[in-house]
Amino acid sequence: MTRLLREERFGRTALLTQNLVPGKRVYNEDLLQRGGAEFRTWDPFRSKLAAAMIKGLPGAIVGEGAKVLYLGASTGTTVSHVSDLVGPGGLVVGVEFSPRVAREFVERVARERRNVIPFVADARDPSKYSVAKVDVVYCDIAQPDQTEIAIANCRAMLRPGGVLLLVVKSRSIDVLKDPARVFVEEKKKLESGGFEVKELVELSPFEKDHALIYATMRS
Amino acid sequence: MSGEGVPESQDVEALRQKSIAAAEEAIRQASSRPDLHLVQAIQALDDTDKYLNITATRASEWYGLHFPELTQMVQDNVALCKMISEIGGRGSYSAEALAGRGFTDKKVAAIMEARDRSKGGEISEGDLAKVKSLGALAVQLSALRGVLNDYVESQMKRVAPNVAEVAGATIGARLMAKAGGLDRLAMLPASTIQILGAEKALFRSLRTGARPPKHGILFQHQAVHTAPKWQRGKIARTLANKIAIAARVDRYRGSEDASIKAGLDKRLEGIKERYKEPPQRRPERRDGPRREGRPPRRDKFRRR
Repeated sequence: MTRLLREERFGRTALLTQNLVPGKRVYNEDLLQRGGAEFRTWDPFRSKLAAAMIKGLPGAIVGEGAKVLYLGASTGTTVSHVSDLVGPGGLVVGVEFSPRVAREFVERVARERRNVIPFVADARDPSKYSVAKVDVVYCDIAQPDQTEIAIANCRAMLRPGGVLLLVVKSRSIDVLKDPARVFVEEKKKLESGGFEVKELVELSPFEKDHALIYATMRS
Repeated sequence: MSGEGVPESQDVEALRQKSIAAAEEAIRQASSRPDLHLVQAIQALDDTDKYLNITATRASEWYGLHFPELTQMVQDNVALCKMISEIGGRGSYSAEALAGRGFTDKKVAAIMEARDRSKGGEISEGDLAKVKSLGALAVQLSALRGVLNDYVESQMKRVAPNVAEVAGATIGARLMAKAGGLDRLAMLPASTIQILGAEKALFRSLRTGARPPKHGILFQHQAVHTAPKWQRGKIARTLANKIAIAARVDRYRGSEDASIKAGLDKRLEGIKERYKEPPQRRPERRDGPRREGRPPRRDKFRRR
């Protein structure tokens, strides 16, 4: 049984994730009953992973029981849905650099969810939070060298054949360059870094000048 | 899916508890830094300035329906608001009510005369009460502004004495706010400090090849804005250089160093001496590039 549902709501595709902590909201999302379980609505305008999944990224990539390294946890909205997706048997290691937003992440998500381990750390230094090998690395950080950082983290923690989901923020890499060109360049960096790029999903209209790259690490 | 080397569930829970505790400690540590309080204070000061202006202007406009002459005669908005809230309606104005407000006898007489032949309309008790509240609020905001200003001055002397010395307390604090704390300011290159606060102009310049901004927040420094136009870029650059040094000394050495300010003054002296006269204007050509230097970068202007 999948913990992710797609359905039509108000005339457009909506995503729902099965709530790991029934009855609890994280950020005022709707709670809905479906097939005897409680699901939380997942807003693609607030979560780039949701946007990518609506635009065709297979939901099964973040499956039940998966171990995920999440870089750029921010206040934890998307982390909470990843935590829903992997379920009680999975694990999410959430890393956030800024203490200001990490406060909300720890308070609202890490404390409430037993499959989330928070770290206030710099993603440039994976040794600070390298607690396990993971199946998926999700990286959403606003740095010019975000791709290099993601690759370094995969080398440190991703199991061979594991998945990298990299949110390419073209405005953070180069404000002037054409986003489409930035996407291609970052894709090439991954390919020469030992990854096989499966898909590149542009996130418009949910997010401007962003794309999500789905790649696997060659073993 | 399963990861290799994943600890057993009890271990996970223990690890999780440890991580939460460590994360909370890190957050606590970060939130007690005095420079972050300073950043909040300067932003509160700038906010308060805005509210004060809006509130005082509204009180003065509203009261102006009733006693327009007074709003013309009292230039200082806060002093006017104090009178509005304390004296009230036109009928309450008397020599006693105006005593102790720093007016000359001549001014008091003029206000009394204005009261008698005022072109203002009547105001109801209810309306007057609201105007008085607005005036009182402006007076309070003005007091708060003073408190915040003193706090910023004294905290800057403690947290970043050299930046305060070179840039001035409020401008130094604004730079720190923009950079995100003293740590970050100390890591910025002087060229970035020079244009902090002029991001819009900077990116426009990068996109279109327009001339880059000479100064951002630093324009507020009196050495920059009182200087003749052609010197401002040079002065802003020098100032930014010295602020960068000062921020690093404050962050990593932590002692006052009078030589930074002395060096700045000497350099400013030199600029004023050397560039006394405005530069010769190049004759403008009707065709061809308007200015020398890099041509506009067209490809960067076009996005997608």
